[in-house]
Amino acid sequence: MNATVTARRTTPSSSPRPVRWRPRVDVVGLCGVVAMLGVWQAMSVHFGRVVPSPLTVANEMAKNFISAPTFRHYGIADAGYLDAILYTAGNVSMSMIAGGAAGIAFGLLTARRRLLRSALDPIFLTLGTIPIFIAAPFLLLWFGISRFSAVAIVAIYVATIVYAYSQRALYNLSPVYEQYAQTLGADDRRLFWDIMVPGTLPEILGGLRIALAGAWGLAAISELIGSQRGAGKVIQSLANSVDVKAIFCVLLLLGVVAAAIDALMALVISRVTAWNRAGGNDHE
Amino acid sequence: MNETNDRTAIAVHNVTRRFQRTGGGEVIAADNMSLTIPRGEFVCLVGPSGCGKTTMLQMIAGLLAPSEGEIEVDGRKVTGPGPDRGVVFQKDSVFPWMTVIQNIEYGLKCRGVPAAERRALARRYLAHVGLEGLEESWPRELSGGMLKRVAIATVFANGSRVLLLDEPFGALDYVTKHQLYDVLLSLWSEDEQHRTVVFVTHDIDEALLLADRVLVFKAGHIAADLSIDSPRPRNTESLLQPAVVAHKRTMLEHIGLRPSGGTA
Repeated sequence: MNATVTARRTTPSSSPRPVRWRPRVDVVGLCGVVAMLGVWQAMSVHFGRVVPSPLTVANEMAKNFISAPTFRHYGIADAGYLDAILYTAGNVSMSMIAGGAAGIAFGLLTARRRLLRSALDPIFLTLGTIPIFIAAPFLLLWFGISRFSAVAIVAIYVATIVYAYSQRALYNLSPVYEQYAQTLGADDRRLFWDIMVPGTLPEILGGLRIALAGAWGLAAISELIGSQRGAGKVIQSLANSVDVKAIFCVLLLLGVVAAAIDALMALVISRVTAWNRAGGNDHE
Repeated sequence: MNETNDRTAIAVHNVTRRFQRTGGGEVIAADNMSLTIPRGEFVCLVGPSGCGKTTMLQMIAGLLAPSEGEIEVDGRKVTGPGPDRGVVFQKDSVFPWMTVIQNIEYGLKCRGVPAAERRALARRYLAHVGLEGLEESWPRELSGGMLKRVAIATVFANGSRVLLLDEPFGALDYVTKHQLYDVLLSLWSEDEQHRTVVFVTHDIDEALLLADRVLVFKAGHIAADLSIDSPRPRNTESLLQPAVVAHKRTMLEHIGLRPSGGTA
């Protein structure tokens, strides 16, 4: 071969196209839902006293969705299932914002500062290992039975998870990107917003999604311990009265809303990190 | 080789760089080195792994500070990285979260070039490296050779008068490498006043095909400083010219290999 080294333009042999997102029906997921409904129906036939049928639960949901006068008998507000789930969703949202912001800020700060990391890692590690039933009484003692206490419990959990993910994301970000940006003229502000933020976004969003999945359950438990409203409080009150179909309603609603928000978050993540979708080089 | 004047692009004055070993002791990657590179020269730094060539390139780029001595680029002391010295790294450094065109525009954006102007400039360099039609592609959709084209287009578009390339084609196949030599030399010869290029490689043939001058590094010293006068354009047959073969023999001897094979 006699390769000439001169000014000659060369064109790549193939032109890959940008991958575009298209809505699609998750057939396997739908099959799973149908199978679960089938099992539920079968169980309700055999264990009717403790497992109400899907239809019974649907009727209960429709009857008490907006307003539930019967709730007054259980000592809680008669605002219905919608109010309970919105209250819990509000707690989850506030916890995600507060805990997420703290976790991201401290995680990114400690990733490049060894001293700060040595100081904060044990604190976050300890916070992350305290069971909610141990932490809750302290928060209730300090802040009383309030929404703040319920939100704080979940926010601490979210912060510990997001802290670990954010720290790892920046720690793992190849320094070659920052060096390259510096040689192109990027200042510190641009290094942060143009390199560190987008470079760490996939891992941070992944951490937020994992934290969100756990936050729903923790929010309900925190309401169960110290709250006057929300899905957890309704479940506690209904459990005392052995109203099985109403408990199923709350659990189902909690699951559906959590799954819907998780799907929405997955969609947002896939959109904002479209560059990372395949997780590697697509080109053969 | 160490006199500076108005034509000097890079001047290295008595530079030493030491690295501390984890288990104690130190490694001297550059030992009291001095050199000057005139404007527009295409210089290759050649040598075996660990001889200090990448350390020298990083010090010129400002990514690494010398332990002793100082480096000047266009008469200004190097104190850190800057857009006056574009770098093409050995590793893929193209930002994966920016499209191809955003990558090429990035340096211009940092320097405040208006959007329309930087888009036009980026398109021009994109065409020059043969990637028309891939403006909106993500880097993950490109091959290794294409990514190098993007990196080369980016540093040229940014207007750096000094270009530092650290074994940029080391991981590429033979054909892609030769295509990229064309791209690089075509861009280098584009301006009447050529940009100054410092190109680190361990491939002697690559250095002989590309360089005006080859500096052979060995254990933190410059073991040989060779002017390659072979006319351009060069091809693989140019490597068989007696003068080039003599240069190759000298380089091999300095690196510690016998031209006929085996270690000296």
